[in-house]
Amino acid sequence: MKDTQAYIERIRRVSRDYQRLELAVDKSLSSMLAGQAVLARRIEKDYEIQHWNPYLRELWFPVEILNSNIIVVEVPAAKSYQPGQLLSLLGPIGKPFKFRRKLRNILLIAYDTPPTSLLMMLPALLANDASVTMVLMGTACQYDTGHLPEEIEIVHAEEDLSWQDMVMTLGWADQVFVLVGPSKELANFADVMRLVRERRNDVPANYIFGVFQRQLPCAVGACYVCMLRSNDGSKLQCVDGPAFDLTSLHLEN
Amino acid sequence: MVVEITRPGKTSLLLSTPVMPAAGTVGFGDNYHRLVDYEKLGAIITNPVTIERWNPASGTRLVPLPGGILVHTGLPNPGLKRVIQQNRRVWGRLPIPVVLHLAGTSAPHMKQAGEMIDGLDVIAGIELGLNDDIDEGEAFALVSAAAAIEKPLLVRLPFYEAGHLAPAVLDAGADALVVSAAPRGTAREEHTGRLVSGRIYGPLVKPLVLRIVGRLRRQVPEEVPIIGAGGIHSPLDARDYIEAGAVAVQVDTATWAQPKMLERIARDLGGWIATRRKDALMDEWHPDMGQTEAAQRGAAQSGG
Repeated sequence: MKDTQAYIERIRRVSRDYQRLELAVDKSLSSMLAGQAVLARRIEKDYEIQHWNPYLRELWFPVEILNSNIIVVEVPAAKSYQPGQLLSLLGPIGKPFKFRRKLRNILLIAYDTPPTSLLMMLPALLANDASVTMVLMGTACQYDTGHLPEEIEIVHAEEDLSWQDMVMTLGWADQVFVLVGPSKELANFADVMRLVRERRNDVPANYIFGVFQRQLPCAVGACYVCMLRSNDGSKLQCVDGPAFDLTSLHLEN
Repeated sequence: MVVEITRPGKTSLLLSTPVMPAAGTVGFGDNYHRLVDYEKLGAIITNPVTIERWNPASGTRLVPLPGGILVHTGLPNPGLKRVIQQNRRVWGRLPIPVVLHLAGTSAPHMKQAGEMIDGLDVIAGIELGLNDDIDEGEAFALVSAAAAIEKPLLVRLPFYEAGHLAPAVLDAGADALVVSAAPRGTAREEHTGRLVSGRIYGPLVKPLVLRIVGRLRRQVPEEVPIIGAGGIHSPLDARDYIEAGAVAVQVDTATWAQPKMLERIARDLGGWIATRRKDALMDEWHPDMGQTEAAQRGAAQSGG
């Protein structure tokens, strides 16, 4: 974890609603892996903060690392950024996603949230000939997937959160990663777990992971705002996460 | 330079710099060691600790506000015994004093805490956090029990009752007053639509607490040190507290927003106080001002 400065080198619109920022960053961030994030805030020269709104930093999961000093993040197009804009970045935050050794088929679920936090894993998975299915549920269906790799199978869920060949998909997947929106986060994870349990005989440990995207005040395990309860005691999203085995988390609110 | 932040006595607490992180902002140990140079700080105040384990609050714990945040964590901690076990080595390695923040629960709990803390050299002092709803009698009993612990005792006053409780707290044996805990408030959380109560942090808190510090400075005896805490987000904010009568300051959530600011405030304030005592010009420790340059130019002109 370091506190470094970066600047926006290039901005690319990738869909109607999203743009990608190419950030020139400190080398310490170029070794980030899928699952790790940075906390970003705009700054002016000499590290000065001109505005305290928003007060906290934004949590950005990179979607791509281009080379030793460029990382790419995907943010809503509605937010205004300028090339050359200075940023203060805290990171890397959290632990990389853990994949099974012989991972062949992976299922990604985004429920009421864009799948951005899961995108960085895609190039490595596809390079290793893994099959990737991405299910978009709720408001995630509005996410334009035109800029994602063609090898990914995209499925849009119905209103009742079911999708075609759901039982087969869940049985076929070696591992599942789930993202949910900030509204009713734990309840939404619980909904997804219920769906999975209803359609799968057994849900083994380390099969389905919930990826938490809570706003992080400190990101160093100091403030305890992101604390979760699990069978193994308390866990912190910023230190132990962002991905947690959903079979071990206490999802009651 | 050395700053005494407690009343003179056997258990004085001396700091090399009058700047500390506030309780609840930097964890129990050295969580910020990669981002902040602890040597530049005066002390560390730990997260709040209770005798028993406390679980995190359920539901929403953070509500962004315009220019600030509302936080409600429920003060999760594994209990004093575990906190000591898990952190005493780290505390021993830190180059600055460690002040343990005890959440003010009950007098018997303070007695139990004393049994665990007395004799622990790695803890340099205690900061007792008083509940917002406490009355004078309860505060007196609680602080009296905490004062029996053989460590310097700072008492953090609740925002709304600081002036009212201060005399009882001092009579009970507090060595210094921390003014104040962050004010409580209620805000609607955008995603769930629910009203959430918690403590309010942000730059707007500073003028509110600064007024309380000024009033308390006039109210309590001069030898009682006051530590200002609330809304400090820049070196100038910290200076304002010193100007209002505080001997030291605690920086709260500015550390989350910009970790290096804590260190920067510590560097700046330490230097500023040192120079002020020698009647030096303020800008000799603060590069944004030009008093010295202006004075030098004036001298050169009059000399030439």
